[in-house]
Amino acid sequence: MYGRVNGVTVVGVRGHLVAVEAHVGRGLPSLTITGLPGAGVQDARDRIRPAVESAGLEWPLRRVVVNLSPGTLRKEGPGLDLPVAMGVLAATTQVPAGALGRWAFAGELSLRGGLVPTPGVLSVAIAAARAGLRGVVVPAENAAEAALVDDLEVVGAASLAEVVGFLRGTWRPTAPGKTGRREDAKHAVDLAEVRGQAQARRALEVAAAGGHNVLMVGPPGAGKTMLARRLATILPTMSRDESLEVTQLHSVAGLLDGGLIHARPFRSPHHTVSPAALLGGGTAYLRPGEVSLAHHGVLFLDEFTEFRRDAVEGLRQPLEDGRVVVTRMVGSAVFPARFTLVAAANPCPCGFAGDPVRRCICRDDRLKTYQAKLTGPLLDRVDIRLVLPRLTKRELLGEQPGETSSSVRERVERARSLQRRRYAPLGFPSNAQLPGPVARREARISPQARELLASAVDLHALTGRGFDRTLKVARTIADLAGADLVEPDHVVEALAYRSASPLPELERAV
Amino acid sequence: MPSESRAVRPWPTWPPDYGSGDEDRRALFVLSALRGISPRNLIPIAVERGSAAATLAWIAEGHAGSENDQAFARGLDPDAIARVAEACGSRLVTWTSAEYPNQLRQIPDPPGAIYLTGRASPDVTSAVAVVGARRCTASGREAAYRIGRGLALAGLTVVSGAARGIDAASHEGALSVRGWTLAVLGSGLDVPYPSASRELIARIGRLGTLVSEYAPGTPPSQHHFPARNRIVAGLCRATVVVEGAKGSGSLITAEHAMEFGRDVVAVAGSVTSALSEVPLQLIREGATLIRDVDDLLDDLGVEIAPAEVADRLELDDAERRILDGIAEPTLPDRLASSLGVTVPEVVGVLMRLELRGFVRNVGGRYETTLKARAQRDQRDEDSERSARGTPDRATSRTGTPAPSSRLAAIDER
Repeated sequence: MYGRVNGVTVVGVRGHLVAVEAHVGRGLPSLTITGLPGAGVQDARDRIRPAVESAGLEWPLRRVVVNLSPGTLRKEGPGLDLPVAMGVLAATTQVPAGALGRWAFAGELSLRGGLVPTPGVLSVAIAAARAGLRGVVVPAENAAEAALVDDLEVVGAASLAEVVGFLRGTWRPTAPGKTGRREDAKHAVDLAEVRGQAQARRALEVAAAGGHNVLMVGPPGAGKTMLARRLATILPTMSRDESLEVTQLHSVAGLLDGGLIHARPFRSPHHTVSPAALLGGGTAYLRPGEVSLAHHGVLFLDEFTEFRRDAVEGLRQPLEDGRVVVTRMVGSAVFPARFTLVAAANPCPCGFAGDPVRRCICRDDRLKTYQAKLTGPLLDRVDIRLVLPRLTKRELLGEQPGETSSSVRERVERARSLQRRRYAPLGFPSNAQLPGPVARREARISPQARELLASAVDLHALTGRGFDRTLKVARTIADLAGADLVEPDHVVEALAYRSASPLPELERAV
Repeated sequence: MPSESRAVRPWPTWPPDYGSGDEDRRALFVLSALRGISPRNLIPIAVERGSAAATLAWIAEGHAGSENDQAFARGLDPDAIARVAEACGSRLVTWTSAEYPNQLRQIPDPPGAIYLTGRASPDVTSAVAVVGARRCTASGREAAYRIGRGLALAGLTVVSGAARGIDAASHEGALSVRGWTLAVLGSGLDVPYPSASRELIARIGRLGTLVSEYAPGTPPSQHHFPARNRIVAGLCRATVVVEGAKGSGSLITAEHAMEFGRDVVAVAGSVTSALSEVPLQLIREGATLIRDVDDLLDDLGVEIAPAEVADRLELDDAERRILDGIAEPTLPDRLASSLGVTVPEVVGVLMRLELRGFVRNVGGRYETTLKARAQRDQRDEDSERSARGTPDRATSRTGTPAPSSRLAAIDER
């Protein structure tokens, strides 16, 4: 007695179709699962029989062997509960075998025969569509995300009994509403809420327009977190493909509630975060880390200097390649991770270096160690550096509410479309992604502006790396202004974003 | 050394021939390495015993000094110390040496001998000390740098302690125009301290003068620094205090200067700043108030060649308006709203001004520099002059006809 159904296992964010074969033969009652099942699938063995029996179906009192094919791929996750159960039911002819081959099944079972929400259902649906199947059968709670995939039927069932009823033709699913197709993202916060800090607001606009990473240095209470949170709201609206990628990552991480994610994600892991939680990993089931959950959005590292060194060093790969490769004993997975980094730090351990009223009480050697943490290979990839002052009450009261996120976003989108057009043949999405030599070649800078940049190098205001960073930022500022050539005005503004030291150097004091 | 001048001194000092002769020189090497006995305690013994060799013998015999000093007095090899001193490029200048700075002879407790590297300063009699806080503000650092630079351009010697902050900035200012600068250390000359100033001390050793009363190899010690400060004050005709918080070493230097009858000059600062504590207190006690290096040069009655005066940079209209709009550390936002221009424009102009040294960014706010103030004064003066129709500015930078010193010149003997 033999049955065969389709399941899907998710590696990283990608779903792989798995053929689940079941054989019911002679022997003492038992269930054996072969075909490289991971720990999570082995786990299912003792869960499936009670679930089947609770659903009012019969478990064969014979020897049952389930094989997961292909045998070279390690299968992970609880989503294979349902296909294993369906395989056994097909082998014992409790469901009609004819229609089974055109569906894929996914979902975790409870002992009472219910279907429990399962992570990664969007990836399952995408894999099913790619394989040309007619539809997927998934837990009812996950139906909305599966429905995001075009040309695929989605059956959302609350229990094993309903799945069997559907196949027997005795139960009809309610079609999941194709909600979540609104085109405008709703954010909980808006740039207009930031009072004062006009220079920082402008810097965020530039960062959003060029895809630049940002370092903010300022005392506690300067508004670093508030500003960082609002960067996500002025980034260009996500395309449908981008939204799908983000949704898929959140689905795999089990963080999705509802359908498509429209708003760019904002993630702010605490500084005690482990490298695995930041970059992705896990022992049995490889999960996306914070960097991937911030994909197409903003990763905010507050108290940047407090983060573990190994965690921070691990950020270099995603910043460079836009993805993370997580390799563990159980296998390796690739998670996309293209985010805008916003790092924030106090100017010194006590927080008051550069403050006009309160005096910094840090010892020099500690100050030196601290400043050293604000340089390094990772922060070389940060183009925009800002010193944020703590505002006095008088300064706060005098300020008008600023522009709204949506009007800033319009300018940002215009600047981005200029960049896309310019770099289309080169394959770079934005100014920030250009490697230094390419930036120098492609920046289209006027002779006067180039001379100004060179003089800034002579005045020790810029290092070699700083030169490239400033050039890229100046290019973005020119794009915001709709200018073809980078002019001196754009360069001087870019120069203002070059240094995050609250204490000016001696050379510049004279 | 004429004996009359010593006779009128209320305090005893070294015997006139202390340290003359080879034996005495050798004794001084050992005496400079004793850590437990200072000139104050040594002078009465020297007066009684007559020579350095006899003084050393007195200690070695156990009549004075701590047990450690006595043991060292017996055991130390003067030739070894001399070799180390020579190896680090220094020489011993004794009380009787012609090279011994005259103005140092006039203070109480002068060192019996000093180690010195480099050529003695060409104009050590018109040396000016610039001292202040280690943890200073950016504007304090600028003031010290400008003062060091201005003094050097006027041909004077800048004396300080090579510490971080104000000290380092004043040395740097002098070195920036290849002027003469002298650092007095609180350790042996081969022990550069603080380590942050290692490179600066090496440069001063090459281009200026290093002085210490301690034998090579002597580590810095807490009580060395007040003692060092008396030499700083003692070498100079005037001591300029730039910034100092309550209870800082700069106050000690200034008090020494007053005690020695030298001039004390203080750079005025804001009454709300903790770092203005010492300068303001000194001004209340009668120190001369200066705002910038020009005031100091006027008061000293010296001039610097007009060609060396800070380059007159032309400001355009927008730059002038923004510069005039900064009265205190100001946010770019406020400048933008009060002048009715956009933030990116203000940021751009501020950046231009910053690159030219007229403003600086301190923790996100912008403040004007002393250079900007000097420039503004010059501008006002120019417009006044053109209104009066007198095109004369070649003779004097400040408009005063002839330089005359408001500060007393030091007694050269």
